[in-house]
Amino acid sequence: MNSISVRFEGVSKHYPHFTLDNIGFELPTGSILGFIGPNGAGKSTTIRILMGLIHQDQGAVHVLGRSMPAEQAAAKMDIGFVSEDMRLYAAATVGWHMEFIQSIYPRWDQSYAASLLQRFDLKPQQRIRGLSHGQRVKAALLLALARRPRLLVLDEPTTGLDPVARQEVLGELMAVLADEERTILFSSHNTLDVEQISDQIVFIDRGRIIDADDKESFLDRWRRLRLVLSQDAVLPRFSGIVDVAGSGLLPVLTTNCFEPRMISECQEMGATVQAVDTMTLEEIFVANVQSRRGGKLV
Amino acid sequence: MNVAMVKRLILKDWYLQRVPIIGSLIAGALALSVILFGGKPGFILGLILLVTVLIGVGAQLAVATMVFERKEQTLPFVMSLPISYKEYTASKILGNLIIFLILWLALLGGSFGVLAISPDKPFGLIPFVAIMATEILVSTCLIYTVALITEHQGWAIGAIITGNLALNGIGYYVAHIGSIAKGMEGHSIQWSPAASTILAAEFLIIVLMLGLTFLFQSRKKDFI
Repeated sequence: MNSISVRFEGVSKHYPHFTLDNIGFELPTGSILGFIGPNGAGKSTTIRILMGLIHQDQGAVHVLGRSMPAEQAAAKMDIGFVSEDMRLYAAATVGWHMEFIQSIYPRWDQSYAASLLQRFDLKPQQRIRGLSHGQRVKAALLLALARRPRLLVLDEPTTGLDPVARQEVLGELMAVLADEERTILFSSHNTLDVEQISDQIVFIDRGRIIDADDKESFLDRWRRLRLVLSQDAVLPRFSGIVDVAGSGLLPVLTTNCFEPRMISECQEMGATVQAVDTMTLEEIFVANVQSRRGGKLV
Repeated sequence: MNVAMVKRLILKDWYLQRVPIIGSLIAGALALSVILFGGKPGFILGLILLVTVLIGVGAQLAVATMVFERKEQTLPFVMSLPISYKEYTASKILGNLIIFLILWLALLGGSFGVLAISPDKPFGLIPFVAIMATEILVSTCLIYTVALITEHQGWAIGAIITGNLALNGIGYYVAHIGSIAKGMEGHSIQWSPAASTILAAEFLIIVLMLGLTFLFQSRKKDFI
């Protein structure tokens, strides 16, 4: 089995007002990659290239061992795809959609589909046009999950959902994660959702990947140091300081490569370390984007 | 080409468009019976009704299955299935063309039949009827080509208008070609070189348009 499910190498796509620039990442089989970026960052474009729906201008894309977009039909046999802008046929019922998908995918799991219907509180005879937005997302997710795909690609699936529906969708995704062979790529601008289910994180902004690591490493290496400087002390300088905030004698340093030795080094330079704060993924993402946009990180 | 997948996509479109399809088949059968049993006024009335049904169903299916796929955002759902642009394009053209051809062949067969069995109707009209019926097919293929390539309602409506204008213009032009006009009132078929050339050109245009549709679709870089 190929141990890498998704591989992007130097992928670029040019539009008149937007460029996806030199995207490269790998998604190992069995892992869950959270693709985080603000609106318009290039998440959907990247995912559409992954699905073969948009052709890259440069670079290579391999999905489940298939070259995209040339082998997209074969690759999509093993992919479940749900995107925020995907709609089902309004005039048809949930049951008709299930039968349609079942006729295409030989691995369709009818008993799993029936259990998802119950869990998502959907009925086969319901027409799509009569469903709420949350129910439509759940119906699309049901169709993607019950085909038992090797790769699940979810483009902003929780956008526009109320908190209860969002938790139900995330809960189901977490249940899916029990299958170690299942690979998931999950894009969102909601870092809280991504933090709950992902083990790898890619940050994208303005068409470029600005950082990528596993989630624990992100959470381990990003810290905020709250310092108190004496009158004659100088602000400590470390590599990896991405932001300096706060007032003159009470600076707050944000670092993306925290090490415990920094605390003692600060003290040696006459600064008192008041607190070392961990950061949420959202804070890390915002600090990362702002520092890149401000040119503080190279 | 995954034929099984193309078939599933065609059946999907037929199911989703079953109301206009069944409606047009009923209307087509009704028009044919008017042609067969309505006497001379019925012949004209039935032909007008059948042509109207043909143009209507051709345009309706093209807009509903090609343009609305993008407009109603079901295209990402369809394109997430294990298909390529070739299967998608083939399913749209074949699915629409089969329904259209059922009615079109009824128009053609019915018209020929009535002309053949009715002594009071000019059998010599057949070359003109064949040219005009094929022109309707050309117009419909133009709508398919434009609707599929642009996936835009405005362009599709433009193609419908262009097709209808061309139908009237060509009807007028062909009816005034001496060698064709001469035989129209007669009781025997006269296939003049002009009639054969026009008919051949129409079929050539159809083949070219459908070929161009596949070519343009294959060159598309953004499919949704």
